[in-house]
Amino acid sequence: MLHSQSVQLLCLTASSGVPLFSRGSAKPLPFSIIGSLNGVHMFGMGHDASLSCCETDRGGRVLWRVFHDSLMLIGASSNAEVSELHLRRLLENAWNCMVLVLGLDELANVRNVERLKRELRSCYRLIDMLLERGVDDLDCDGDQGLMGDLTHCTDCILLPQPDLLQETLESFTRAAESEFGCLLVRGRLAVATEKWWRLAPQELILLSAIANLPPGKTSCDYPVFLPQGSPNVALRLMCFQLLPGAIACVLCGPKPSLHQVENEQVCCFWSPVVDNLRSSLDQVERSPLYPSITFNRDVLCLLLINRDSRKSVASLGPTCSKSPPPLSPARRWEILRLFYTFAVTRYFTSEETPNSWCPPSDPLHEEFSSGFTHLPVHCYLLTDECKCYAVQTPQHQLFLLTDLSVPTFALRSVATHTLDVITTATGF
Amino acid sequence: MECVAAGSIMVSDWHRSPDSREFFRRILHKKQRRKFGLLEAPVMPPHLKADVVRYKVFLSGKSGVGKTTLAARLGGLDMPNVHYETTGMETSVVFWPVKLRESGRTLFFHFQLWDCGENAMRRFDHMLPSCKEHVDAILFLFSFTDRGSFEDLANQISQIMEPSDRLVRLVVGTKFDLFMHTDVTERDITRFQEVWGVPVFRVGGDVSGGFGEIAPLLNALAENLWHQDCMQASTLVPSYPGQIGPEIIV
Ligand SMILES: Nc1nc2c(ncn2[C@@H]2O[C@H](COP(=O)(O)OP(=O)(O)O)[C@@H](O)[C@H]2O)c(=O)[nH]1
Ligand SMILES: [Mg+2]
Repeated sequence: MLHSQSVQLLCLTASSGVPLFSRGSAKPLPFSIIGSLNGVHMFGMGHDASLSCCETDRGGRVLWRVFHDSLMLIGASSNAEVSELHLRRLLENAWNCMVLVLGLDELANVRNVERLKRELRSCYRLIDMLLERGVDDLDCDGDQGLMGDLTHCTDCILLPQPDLLQETLESFTRAAESEFGCLLVRGRLAVATEKWWRLAPQELILLSAIANLPPGKTSCDYPVFLPQGSPNVALRLMCFQLLPGAIACVLCGPKPSLHQVENEQVCCFWSPVVDNLRSSLDQVERSPLYPSITFNRDVLCLLLINRDSRKSVASLGPTCSKSPPPLSPARRWEILRLFYTFAVTRYFTSEETPNSWCPPSDPLHEEFSSGFTHLPVHCYLLTDECKCYAVQTPQHQLFLLTDLSVPTFALRSVATHTLDVITTATGF
Repeated sequence: MECVAAGSIMVSDWHRSPDSREFFRRILHKKQRRKFGLLEAPVMPPHLKADVVRYKVFLSGKSGVGKTTLAARLGGLDMPNVHYETTGMETSVVFWPVKLRESGRTLFFHFQLWDCGENAMRRFDHMLPSCKEHVDAILFLFSFTDRGSFEDLANQISQIMEPSDRLVRLVVGTKFDLFMHTDVTERDITRFQEVWGVPVFRVGGDVSGGFGEIAPLLNALAENLWHQDCMQASTLVPSYPGQIGPEIIV
């Protein structure tokens, strides 16, 4: 089982290597090692080589990335289950968190290192939340099954009758003098205004994460910079915990005030739909998919992605696994993340458009595909805990775990059938 | 605003008396404090009617003094085990039942606690005015382990309050459980109370689950807020101070 301790994130100034913070591990790396990690990267730069990743034969891994020639993030892990994709996403997400909280200017043009160090503390809650996603799921059961940090698709819940909540959200958002609003149910987007959907997927994921209020809090007003949409001008993200687990969010300019919205609008708009909110909370307890959908009894869990809209739903299957030892929900989510990573880095590689900073790293470990021009559309993997199958169509990707008892030859039909059932019923 | 003596308006230690049980039961769930969303409030059976009166309370104090922890504590949560700088403004809600001494009337106080991170307050101008908008009470915090924070109280109070503000003010000393390291003596506290006429409350340590630890502070807050409203409304009939909340189902 993974623990958040197995991944460490370091932040240094790019030019002089001054450490700014370190998160993740209970035992921070000694200064000399941080110095060496920075040193080898600098050495490369001095020779026109950019060092982006290295791997030990026992599965340890280090990833470097410099942002805006100003700050360097280093991700390090000693656990073989932490993939390169995982670390790469971690660095991207951590940087986006920093921009979200402090704004790009503050980070790209460091004027006072000591002050920046102090201000970066405001990002720790968000960064730690992402560090803990997908690892150590046992401790934070509320987060279970959230995948957006890895997939960069927005975690959603599909409501059978969203219209009333959608209308309510739209009126509420207008009353808060905004066009950007959404309703989150246990961290998953239930409904959102059209403008909200036009935010970049990475922004949507961070906004959903930051809107997940700390324990005991009922509302907030956070200044946020949008990494893509508004990196230098802060907007205000206001979130309201309508019921425990159901949070309405709006992105606003200078007005109206938190007090005003909370006292004048929240009850007025949302009280009439309190029963709908309750039933969506009940639904997500069971599954973020429609309650009416029944899929194969042997499905342990699944992740469905809409490739155009960059939305996703993830759900546990109907049964407990039969094979001893039974797989806990936490383990199922963990394997699903690993399988997703496996599939998109080896087979469904178009998803992983390599960025300029990261040259396509040894494109495929698989020999066979190098000679072919076509793209794989199915893949599967057998482990001693469960069986995994993935399908991709131009519109969708489905990743599925089944019980070991399902015959391997039947996986394909279970998967395509499941994909059919869900997309037909929900129009997702 | 002059402070009222504890127990002069409301039954003190009401949480210990048997007739409060039905009321306190509504703010508990499985022996823990119940979490309320913004659309929820405790609901009493018809024969035990209790109006909800709403007040905004601002927690003021420098970074690390214990604002977020105090808000959590008053809401019945344990100390967060990691200290995170609050990224902006956050509010939390605490319901607290009281019984008026004279009329025997029972009320649920709905305290909306406002907590703002110091970094954010420094960087963004709208934070402090927003915390002060329609505020009814301010808790000024200092930490028993940081003498500087105690000495800064006067400064803090004068920076945040305008002379014209009619607000309830209370002072809360945090981290009282770390008395081994305390930097602030009983004499200091007594002197402060005499000079300022503001009561000082002590909090610290884990929330053992009981109401005993937070009752003095919450009762004082309720009592002073009620008194302030009665004074302001004294030309009118002082029967419904506070903002009566909407009746909502739980
Ligand atoms: N022992 C002890 N520690 C406390 C107490 N109140 C706060 N702390 C610790 O002091 C640190 C800062 O507290 P926090 O509430 O986050 O401060 P804020 O910046 O004012 O919100 C945290 O590590 C808390 O655990 C207390 O009453 N007792
Ligand atoms: Mg705080």
